[in-house]
Amino acid sequence: MSSHATAPVDPNNVVLWDYEDHGHDFIGTRSIGFWLYMMSDAMIFAGLFAAHGVYVHNFAGSFTANEVIHPINALWPTLFIFTSVLIYGFGMVALKKGSRSGVINALLLSFILGVGFLLMEYREFSELAAMGAVPQVSGFLSDFWVIVLTHAAHVFFGLIWMAVMIVQIMTNGFTQNNVYRLINLKLFWHFQAIIWVCVFTFVYLMGGI
Amino acid sequence: MSHDHHNPIDHPEVQLASAGGYLFAYAFGLGAMLLGLWMVLNHTLTPVGLTTAVSVIALVSVIVQLYFLFKLDLSSTQIWHTVSIVMTAPLFVMAVGLTIWMFHTLMQRTMIPLPGMGM
Repeated sequence: MSSHATAPVDPNNVVLWDYEDHGHDFIGTRSIGFWLYMMSDAMIFAGLFAAHGVYVHNFAGSFTANEVIHPINALWPTLFIFTSVLIYGFGMVALKKGSRSGVINALLLSFILGVGFLLMEYREFSELAAMGAVPQVSGFLSDFWVIVLTHAAHVFFGLIWMAVMIVQIMTNGFTQNNVYRLINLKLFWHFQAIIWVCVFTFVYLMGGI
Repeated sequence: MSHDHHNPIDHPEVQLASAGGYLFAYAFGLGAMLLGLWMVLNHTLTPVGLTTAVSVIALVSVIVQLYFLFKLDLSSTQIWHTVSIVMTAPLFVMAVGLTIWMFHTLMQRTMIPLPGMGM
């Protein structure tokens, strides 16, 4: 850590211990801990993408990927999730400047865009259900529903977390606890954009090839 | 927990935030996804070529986002985040790659070839 032991030591005035408790890096330890959780979360998606690679041609004589997946329809959710992530990023810039209203406004806008993302997915999957493309029809459809809706579940829980953060910042401001929670939610939320890049590419785009 | 000595906002992980970096990641990610979509919709390449091209686009896009959204670098603030993803990435690739490879070659590896069943 510190390395200012270069000055000659005066034996009469030397201080052998530090009277103050500096504690550990409270925010840093929580952020690396949550980051390790995100890595294990990525492995859940590894399992899902592996299953997708296996099941993608198992139509069981029913709907093929081309009939179910329309890559152009996935563009709207892409726009919503990316913009929500960007606005959350601006919220982190507002945090850096110590602007409470800036953080709350960014979280609110990010929340609304996240809700928009979920509504898009709700529309898409209710259309699929209406045409009978439900998970129990084939291995491919089971996989398609699970992989997209697992991502949607992440977004859903991220939104709950975001709503809680808005309340906590309104009531307590930028305490140490709230700041580390904002950093962890940032890791979580930005991670959803990265997973969405993979879902969009390997599920929607490849389903359209 | 000890009492606060510092303003939590001064923590280096808070100070990492940069509007320019987030905007770049946003524009790059969206542009990459649009490029992939355009290539697929217009059938610019053969199916194998398209699969490879959109995979490469996704990979580049993920790396750009990892760098500009998470600021994963070798600085003392971020190095353990970077180390952990460097350790996780091979597991991710092996989990996906080996599973798909295994299932796609399962028939050849487990079944006795029947007469007339061209392999």
